[in-house]
Amino acid sequence: MVNSSMRSYAKKLPFVLIVMMLATEGQTARAQFEPLPRRDNASMMNLVRPVTEKISGSVVQVYSGDRPVALGTIVAEDGFILTKRSELSGDPIRVRLSDGQLLPARVAAVRRSNDLAMLRIEGDLALKPAKFAGEIPPVASFVVSVGRKSNPIGLGVIGAKPRRISHQGRLGVLLQDDRTGRAMVRGVFPDSGAEAAGLKKGDLIVAINGRKERSRLGVIETLRGMFPGESVRLTITRNDEAEDSTTMDVDASIRDLNVMRESESDARVNGPRNVRLSGFDQVMQHDTVLDPDECGGPLMDIKGNVIGINIARAGRVVSYALPASLILPEMVSMLSEARSASR
Amino acid sequence: MERVPHTRYVIANFVPRFEAALQYYITKPSVVGKPQSRIAAIVFLAVSLGTVGLTVEAQSPVVAPTPTDQSSETKIPVPEELQKILSAGTVPKTLAQLRLLEQQFGQISEAAKLCTVSIKIGQAQGCGVIIDGGGKVLTAAHVAMRPNKPATVILANGRRLKAMTLGLNKNVDAGMLQISPGQNEGAEWPHATLGNSSKLARGMWCIATGHPSGFDQARGVVTRVGRIARVNRSALRTDCALIGGDSGGPLFDLSGNLIAIHSRIGNDVEENLHIPIDNYSNSWDRLAAGDSWGTLPGFRPVLGVQGNSRVEEAVIDVVRPSSAANKAGIQEGDIIKEFGDRKITDFQSLKAAVAETMPGENVRVRGQRDGRPVFFRVVIGRGE
Repeated sequence: MVNSSMRSYAKKLPFVLIVMMLATEGQTARAQFEPLPRRDNASMMNLVRPVTEKISGSVVQVYSGDRPVALGTIVAEDGFILTKRSELSGDPIRVRLSDGQLLPARVAAVRRSNDLAMLRIEGDLALKPAKFAGEIPPVASFVVSVGRKSNPIGLGVIGAKPRRISHQGRLGVLLQDDRTGRAMVRGVFPDSGAEAAGLKKGDLIVAINGRKERSRLGVIETLRGMFPGESVRLTITRNDEAEDSTTMDVDASIRDLNVMRESESDARVNGPRNVRLSGFDQVMQHDTVLDPDECGGPLMDIKGNVIGINIARAGRVVSYALPASLILPEMVSMLSEARSASR
Repeated sequence: MERVPHTRYVIANFVPRFEAALQYYITKPSVVGKPQSRIAAIVFLAVSLGTVGLTVEAQSPVVAPTPTDQSSETKIPVPEELQKILSAGTVPKTLAQLRLLEQQFGQISEAAKLCTVSIKIGQAQGCGVIIDGGGKVLTAAHVAMRPNKPATVILANGRRLKAMTLGLNKNVDAGMLQISPGQNEGAEWPHATLGNSSKLARGMWCIATGHPSGFDQARGVVTRVGRIARVNRSALRTDCALIGGDSGGPLFDLSGNLIAIHSRIGNDVEENLHIPIDNYSNSWDRLAAGDSWGTLPGFRPVLGVQGNSRVEEAVIDVVRPSSAANKAGIQEGDIIKEFGDRKITDFQSLKAAVAETMPGENVRVRGQRDGRPVFFRVVIGRGE
C-alpha cells in the first residue's frame, strides 16, 4: 500500500506542485516551512507581557517530592499561597519564588470540593499577593495564564459560559453482597484505579481509609464521596485457592469514569491532563493549551485583572479556571482556618 | 460500570501504522481513527483537487446563497482599526487593538451560537451550521454518512428538529442536510453568512464553534479562536482546537463569514483540519440534490468477503481472516439477505450496500446458512 501510494504520488508530483502553488495564493514554497502562525506566538506573548507583569512576584512554582507539579498564587503577604491540591501527593512540598528562592512549605488548609490547597511558607518575606477581581469575561474574551516570572505562559479565549462541573469519581469496581452482606468485588473496570491497585474478583472490601465497612452500600457511599485524583487505602480480604484468606492494605486512586471509558485514540488526542479534571462548583472554560503542572497559577484578562486560578487541564479543547467570585470566599475561610490553627 | 463497546472497536480495527501522522475524523461517540502517512495525505490532496477541478467545470450555474449583510446572519462589520489584521492575517500591535479584536470575536461568537447545531444520526454525533433561512445545513460528509436519511438537528437552546441528509462529496468530506419544513412557524432560521475560501491566507484569525464531545445543554456551544496555519483547496489547518463531536461545525473569519467546516484532527493540538467553504459553493447543486460521490481518503469501508457477481444470490465464497466479516461470524457459503436496511439480491448489491457505510459503523446483517436464517452484527472495517 505504501509502495503503491509512493508510485501514485510520483506520477502526480508535477500536478501536485502546481496546484499547491496555486492554492497558497502566491505564498512562496519557503513560507510553508516557516514556523506556523499561531494565536499564541512570540509576538502575541510579547503583546500581553505588560498585562502579566502587573502581578510580578505573585506567582510561585510548587514542588512535590522534588518534582514541579503546579504553580501557586500568593494570596497573603505573610506567606499564604493557593494551589491545586490533588497534585501535592509527595513530600517534601516546596515552592520556588519569582526571585528563584526555594522554600519549604506545608499544607495549611484544603478545600476538597474545588481541589484547592492553601500552602504556608515561613521566613522574613515581603510577598506581593495577587488581587482578584470579580468579573467573569464574556465568551471569546482573551485570557492569559501567568508563570513564575510573571511571564505569559499561555493565551486563549473563554469558550463557554461559567458552569458547575460534576464528576464521576470511581474506584472502578462492580460490587455484590457476599453471604454476610459485605462488599465483594464482582468485576474490575479496565484502566481504573482498582485495576492498577491489583483488585481481583472475589476480594472483600472490609475497610476504607482505616474505617471498617460492613456492607456493600456502606462501601458505595464512602466511595461516592471521593473525587477523581484522590487516593483511598482499601483493606481487602482475599481467599486463595486453598481457601486461606489473607487481609491486606492497598492504595488505589479514584479516576473519572469518563476518562476510563475513553478510547485510546481519544486519550491520545486529549494529550496530558490532570487526574482531577472534574468536580468543581463553578469554572470558566477556556481553550489555553496548558500542561498539567501549569495549574494553580493566576488567570488574567487583557485589562490586567486577575480573574481566577487555573484548576485543571481537562482535555484537548478544555482548560478550567476557578473564577475570582468562587476563590475569594474560599480564600478568606482557608486563611482564617490556617491562621487560627497556627496561633 | 460496563464498558461501552463502541468506544473500543476503534482500536481493535484500526491499528495505526504511522503513529506520528495519525488523523481522526471527529464525530462522537463513534470517533473513528484514520491512520495515514504523510505521503498518503499528499496523494489524497492531489486526487481530491483533481476531482474538485472537474466538478467545477461540469457544474451548471452555482446557486449557492450570495453573501449579504443581513443582521440575522453572522457577518459583523469590521472596525477600521482591524482591517489590516483581517485581510493580511497579522497580529495586533497594541493592547487596544487586541481588545477590539476580542470584542469582534465576542459578537461573532454570539451570532454563531444561533446557527451552530448539533447533528445526531444513529449513534454518531457531530455538528453543522445553518446556511440559509430555509434551513439548509452544512456539515461534514462523515457526519451525514448517507444521502436522504432522517437526522436530528439540535439547536443551541436544546430544541430538537427533524432533518434529512442531502448530498455528500466524500472526496473532501463535505455534506449537506435540510431541516424539514414547517418547524419554524414560517420564519427564517438564523444562519451563517456564506464567505468564500479563495482569498484565505496563513496567519488570518478565525473562530470555531461546535459541540466538542457532543451536545451538552448546560455548557452550550463552545467557542475557540485561532489562526490559519496552512491553506489548501481541500483543507485548512488551524490552531482552533477541535475534538470528537466538533465535526461539521463552522469556522468563521474575523468578519463573521463562514469560511470552512470542521473535518478532522491529528494528535498535535495544533493539527485541526477544516473543509474550505468553496468546496460546498462549487458543488452546491449536486449537494442540494442529494447526490453522493467520492470516498473519504484512507477511509474506505471494507467487509472482507469475496463472491461471484454473476450468481443470483449474494453467496460468500471467501471470508478474509481477521476481517470485519470474519469477526462477526460470517462463514463461507453463507448467503447474505439483508445488510442494514438494504435488501441484498446478489453480490453486486452487497458491494453497493457496504460502500454506503462508514468504517467503524455497526451494521445488522441477516443471512442464510444451510437454509436457516442467521444474524450478524458487523463492525465495518477500514481499507486504505
